[in-house]
Amino acid sequence: MQDFLELAVSAAASGCVYGLIALAYLLMIRPTGIINFAVGEWAMLGAFGGYVLLTQREWPYPVGMAAILAGMFVVGWATERVAVRPLVERGAPILAPILALLGMLVVFREAVSVSFPPDPLPVPFPFGIGRLEIAGVGGSYQSFFIIGVTLLVFAGTWLFFERTVAGKAFEAVALHRRAAALMGINLSRVTAFSFAAGAAVAGLGGLLVSPNISAHYLMGVPLAIQGFTALVIGGVGRVEGALLGGLLVAFAEQLTIRYAPIPSGYAQGVPLLFLMIFLLVRPTGLLKAKE
Amino acid sequence: MRAGATWLAALLVMSGAAFFMGEYYNDVYRKLLLWVTLALGYNFLFGICGQVAFSHFAFYGIGAYSIVIFLFQVHLPFPLAVVAGIALCVVFALAVAIPSTRLEGFYLALATLALGQLFIVVLNEGGAVTGGTGGIANYRLPDIFGVHIRGPWYTGVIVALVLSTYAVLLRLDRSWFGRACRAVRDNPEAAAAMGVNVTRTKVITFTLTSALAGLTGMVYAFVDNTVNPPIFGIDNAFLLLFMVIVGGAGRHAGAVIGAVLLYLLPFWLSPLVGHHHVLVFGVLLVAAILFQPKGLISLWDKLQARVRRA
Repeated sequence: MQDFLELAVSAAASGCVYGLIALAYLLMIRPTGIINFAVGEWAMLGAFGGYVLLTQREWPYPVGMAAILAGMFVVGWATERVAVRPLVERGAPILAPILALLGMLVVFREAVSVSFPPDPLPVPFPFGIGRLEIAGVGGSYQSFFIIGVTLLVFAGTWLFFERTVAGKAFEAVALHRRAAALMGINLSRVTAFSFAAGAAVAGLGGLLVSPNISAHYLMGVPLAIQGFTALVIGGVGRVEGALLGGLLVAFAEQLTIRYAPIPSGYAQGVPLLFLMIFLLVRPTGLLKAKE
Repeated sequence: MRAGATWLAALLVMSGAAFFMGEYYNDVYRKLLLWVTLALGYNFLFGICGQVAFSHFAFYGIGAYSIVIFLFQVHLPFPLAVVAGIALCVVFALAVAIPSTRLEGFYLALATLALGQLFIVVLNEGGAVTGGTGGIANYRLPDIFGVHIRGPWYTGVIVALVLSTYAVLLRLDRSWFGRACRAVRDNPEAAAAMGVNVTRTKVITFTLTSALAGLTGMVYAFVDNTVNPPIFGIDNAFLLLFMVIVGGAGRHAGAVIGAVLLYLLPFWLSPLVGHHHVLVFGVLLVAAILFQPKGLISLWDKLQARVRRA
């Protein structure tokens, strides 16, 4: 039991990271219908931001974190400007920006692989390495930090969509683009903001996970796969779905590694298996979109 | 009859060329031909049927590994090993395609991305069966029905593979099935209204092109006489997609141009930028989608139109 509780905390932490990646996808898919596989690379950029600012420059953690989030916001905005907006304005099929973003994925990854050594690079823990126990449930400082920050982000996103006019505008674009435009909502501003916010959320996910797994230029694709699986499982309609999906994927993965008699590398197959099962049985995801 | 003569001439010229090349250029030529074969198959899947998948290269790997394992570890006779390898590709392709094509959207892209990643994991963790990270080496193509194929003659086998792949895909493209594929790509609702079974068309195309990739992989297994995990990585799956887009998606000639260009580009790029030519490819892809969405082949079309007008 003790063993399971220990596992539960670390699984919840990685589930939160998957949830953040899923949220990044969701922020962009909802208003635009564009699946951006480059979110994994954005997470990677966030992790490398952590390496540069926190490890090399030794900035204080909150300042570095804020700088990274701001930087990612700009990266997302610029990506939308370069690879999405010209195609949307030209009326190209939806596949065109998705493919252009795949090109950007390669550009991001290769740009990082050119600029940094190929070894995994360390990123510091904000609270050092240590163990915290809350009512018998123990885990590392970092696990609790990840869970706390993720809950804050999801609460903020939920409030944004439910309580603010800008959030309602977002929702309106997701429901019906043309009607939203006719109601005076600036479509291109919503799109630009969704990409900027998506990049910031994905970058945050990368930064949070990087002390555990180190910054490496190949870390993006696995995160992109796990995040998308979380999104499919949770359903693209609801913000909470992303977090729920992330937690389910992470628990399935960690329980498989811990209790199933197979080499741990095969645990990477768990998301694929999960994805296939969900596509067959419940293609709309666990949580239905609100009518 | 005339068409047959053209194909035969192409076979003779293209494989004859191999006898005038040295060992090194033969190797380059063979790999170029394999890339062209893969690009032709992938173009049918992505360019003609409109399905984004990243598993084409994984199936190439499944083909290569399965023939080696079936021949030298299970000790099946050659024809049986080929059939078993293709059957394996078909089973995997169906397992991925049936759930993912049930839905609109890009679920196939994700499922195949995950399959590609998982394939590499299985290769690395496979122990004695897959040879782990080192892969399997030190085997030779057995005599097939008593015929001993080596050197340029093997290049001839690859030429036959390219041409037969091209012939089959061209034939298919011009049949009702090819038209159904294009209809599914351009407007699935309209295609369904015209009586095309959209899901079945997608699943058949995915399975067929994946099996073709597997077959190409089997031929590849005896080019280097070694198979190891890094060859079949996800990077090459992206490269294949780039080849088809840069050349011109949906056009056989476009796939050939893209494959030739992007395969040969690193040879003269690497003295300039080292092994970071992939970065150049990424930029090239984004530029192609933004400025030349119909690919390089459309430049040729424009040129031809101008010549005709003049």
